[in-house]
Amino acid sequence: MRQRFISSVQIILQLALTTTGLTGQSYPGKPKIIRCRSLEKETFSCWWKPGSDGGLPNNYTLFYSKDSEEKIYECPDYLTSGPNSCYFDKNHTNLWTTYIITVMATNEIGSNSSDPQHVDIASIVQPDAPVNLSLETKTSGSMTHLWAEWSPPPLADVNSNSHAYHYELRLKPEEKEEWETVSVGMQTHCEVTRLQAGKKYVVQVRCMLDLGEWSEWSSERRIQIPDRRSPPQKPTIIKCRSPEKETFTCWWKPAPDGGYSINHTLLYSKEGEEKVYECPDYKTAGPNSCYFDKKHTSFWTIYNITVRATNEMGSNVSDPHYVDVTYIVQPDPPVNITLELKKSINRKPYLVLTWSPPPLADVRSGWLTLDYELRLKPEEGEEWETLFVGQQTQCKLFSLNPGKRYVLQIHCKADHHGLWSEWSPEMNIQIPTDYRVKDMVVWIIVGVLSSLICLVMSWTMILKGYRMMAFILPPVPGPKIKGIDTHLLETGKSEELLSALGCHGFPPTSDCEELLIEYLEVEDSEDQQLMPSHETPSKNTKTVLKETESDAGRGSCDSPSLPVVKRREPRGLPSALQAQDARAVQENKGARARRETRCKASEQKTLPFNGESAKPCTWLAAQLPSNQPAMFGYHSTMEAFQITLNTTNANIPPFLVGNEENHQSLYPIAETVYDDMESESEMEYFKADQAIAQVTQTRRNDKSPFFNPKLMDYVEVHKVRPEEEPRLLLKDKDYSENTKNHTVPRTSKEYTQVSTFADPKVLVLAQDARAQQAPVSQEPVTETPQNPEPAQAEKNTDYYTTSPSDSSRDDSGSDYMDPSSFMPSFK
Amino acid sequence: CHTSGMLTPNGKEYAQKIPREELTHLILKLLQAWKEPLSHFNQHIEHHQELPDDSLSKAKQISNMVHELKTGVEKSMGIISNSLNGMASSESTGLSISNEANMMSDSDFIHCFRRDSNKVQSYLKILKCRIMPENSC
Repeated sequence: MRQRFISSVQIILQLALTTTGLTGQSYPGKPKIIRCRSLEKETFSCWWKPGSDGGLPNNYTLFYSKDSEEKIYECPDYLTSGPNSCYFDKNHTNLWTTYIITVMATNEIGSNSSDPQHVDIASIVQPDAPVNLSLETKTSGSMTHLWAEWSPPPLADVNSNSHAYHYELRLKPEEKEEWETVSVGMQTHCEVTRLQAGKKYVVQVRCMLDLGEWSEWSSERRIQIPDRRSPPQKPTIIKCRSPEKETFTCWWKPAPDGGYSINHTLLYSKEGEEKVYECPDYKTAGPNSCYFDKKHTSFWTIYNITVRATNEMGSNVSDPHYVDVTYIVQPDPPVNITLELKKSINRKPYLVLTWSPPPLADVRSGWLTLDYELRLKPEEGEEWETLFVGQQTQCKLFSLNPGKRYVLQIHCKADHHGLWSEWSPEMNIQIPTDYRVKDMVVWIIVGVLSSLICLVMSWTMILKGYRMMAFILPPVPGPKIKGIDTHLLETGKSEELLSALGCHGFPPTSDCEELLIEYLEVEDSEDQQLMPSHETPSKNTKTVLKETESDAGRGSCDSPSLPVVKRREPRGLPSALQAQDARAVQENKGARARRETRCKASEQKTLPFNGESAKPCTWLAAQLPSNQPAMFGYHSTMEAFQITLNTTNANIPPFLVGNEENHQSLYPIAETVYDDMESESEMEYFKADQAIAQVTQTRRNDKSPFFNPKLMDYVEVHKVRPEEEPRLLLKDKDYSENTKNHTVPRTSKEYTQVSTFADPKVLVLAQDARAQQAPVSQEPVTETPQNPEPAQAEKNTDYYTTSPSDSSRDDSGSDYMDPSSFMPSFK
Repeated sequence: CHTSGMLTPNGKEYAQKIPREELTHLILKLLQAWKEPLSHFNQHIEHHQELPDDSLSKAKQISNMVHELKTGVEKSMGIISNSLNGMASSESTGLSISNEANMMSDSDFIHCFRRDSNKVQSYLKILKCRIMPENSC
């Protein structure tokens, strides 16, 4: 894609060129990739040749892509391989991919790119030629062999793996044209036989990797094969040395002899003299050497030394070698090196090193002054630490690590300008580790203490984790209600709690079944079911239970299962309620309001009960099977209701049994109440028990309430207006069938108060005396109670039973009590 | 070298055999012989443009050191310059020597100077160890 773009650019540029050709400046000429080459299969380089530059400075960029990938890359390195080159290092080189390379030349006017070049690394591998080719003739018996040795080509990256090169050697006599090639294999040396004596040979060598091409031939090396029929070749003087500035020795390299004898003689002359002397001693210093003793050694004079090789055919003289003995002094290494470990005051070991000058050196007379230098390194280390010591023959080393082994060497130099001697042999020393008993004891104690502390900490964390966390991060306190202990609620000690509130007898005792039976009796007397099917209440209970349990610890206001009397009630209320309830309980002990209990009511023992409002107490009380609590419950409910009505207008009375808008189940009641003050509706399930007709009145009403199961009728809900007291209209059954025109139903009764809760499902309403005659607008009853329950109606108080309706929700919807069933007294 | 004519011991044994005073004289003679040529040489190389600057300063430094050395040796040996009878005669030879020195090429000059300074150094070392053998001798 990119290449197409490039080519299209080219076309455009060419068109532009025709218009701008007169200016003399144009887009650059097409570059051309000359060659690409890899030296060792791991990297490669490409070189290009620029085209015409178009009169302007050109910028060259190299683009490449791999195989058939679309992505285009740019050259990673333009510098390493020189100008007009691109170097691909190890990371960019992949042996098995084909690179498609293009070079683009850009100048101010435009650009031009080369033809793409397909490069396959494996095919462009060509190493450099081998280096350091050295030749020697070796004679054994009468045979002379050529010994050739070389080194592999050097690589830029020294650390790269040594590559396996194949080598090839070729040689020919100097005057001939044809080469003789010898395949060497992978060695870096070769021995060639069958050489013609007396000839001079030219030798070259090249190499190759396992794939690619042969390298170029190395540079030529020539060697003369010795021949007895010709004079010897030139010997060479290697070096001359004086070990103690009193004598000196010279060594030379003899002419290759090819098996026949060559005589070597050393001749010298001194500066300022013409006379030539011969070496006084050929033996002392070994073969091919000459030893000049004290007598023959003069200082501050230059010697002219040559070596002559002579054979039957002639002789040959080496090049002259000039030497002034004062400058060729190279002493022997120091001797008697002793290492001593001493302990300093603070118990740190240090090393004392002593040595002696080499035996031949005469330092005593001052003729020779030696400077010493020592070096040391840790045994496994790589780098030496070199210390110049001067003329002293001892040294103290302080900065050594205990427990390590060190290697030491010393060498010396003469007269500040001479040659350094060889290094002395390596000396090893082990620095002892410094164990102090005191230190160890301290560390042991520290270790034990810290581990103990860790153990203690971990144990406390494990055992008292929560308390610790609570201590460290105190929990956010929930809202506190005076008089109510949240912990009591949590722990489920509702007895204590209820007693605190004045309720007692909750949870219901075990005479559940008995009461149940009673309940059934009641049911028979009426067509209407006294209570809804067992399922629904159980369902309700269960759901109630669930909800309430989930609300454990929270205020009762949060509990959906609790009748919401009022959402926000002054805190003082519960206490007042309690007081009243207590009193009521005392007064109405006799009143028996047995109510149907749900056997499962006992499950509701754990209902959270905190007196956020009066509701909890009342509602729970409604659940109670036993009488006294029931009494209490009623009282409290009624009173609560009264208080509610009196104190707040904004709240909806708890007995709102239904709303047009909301079919609220019992369970979401709490939410709805809290969420929407206007739309509160509650579901309460009360079981009316005929037997439990008695509900003692509050101070207002002394009449004993009774249930009339027949009194089931729809109850109209008077819309709550904030300015008015909420009231419940009890509609006459007959009336409901009649017109709506009646504004003042004679049988309509207004109930503005909840006198008591007869039952979980029975709500006892009380009429407000003053409001009795007030016309009330009627509102349609929103729901028909599914199972209207019989309720006994009292003169002024009516029991209303709520029953579950078949609302769409899983939870039972809001229910109405059908007051007609318990309104006989009104008829 | 212009000082080649001087008879100087060219070996350790010879140098050790010479009595102290004579050795001292020899040292001083050598130092003296180089005083003139050095200053002349300094003047000479100042005109050389191709030499780096530190060579010039080094040459000057060397000639100063030679002078100081001579003075030091004289003082340490307790020799009064005018007690050296040979100095007067060496003055004349010194002149011819210095003439000779002027004709040397620069490299020869430096070569000779190096040699003679080495001689002086060696003799002084021997002297030192003879006089005070305990100091690193």
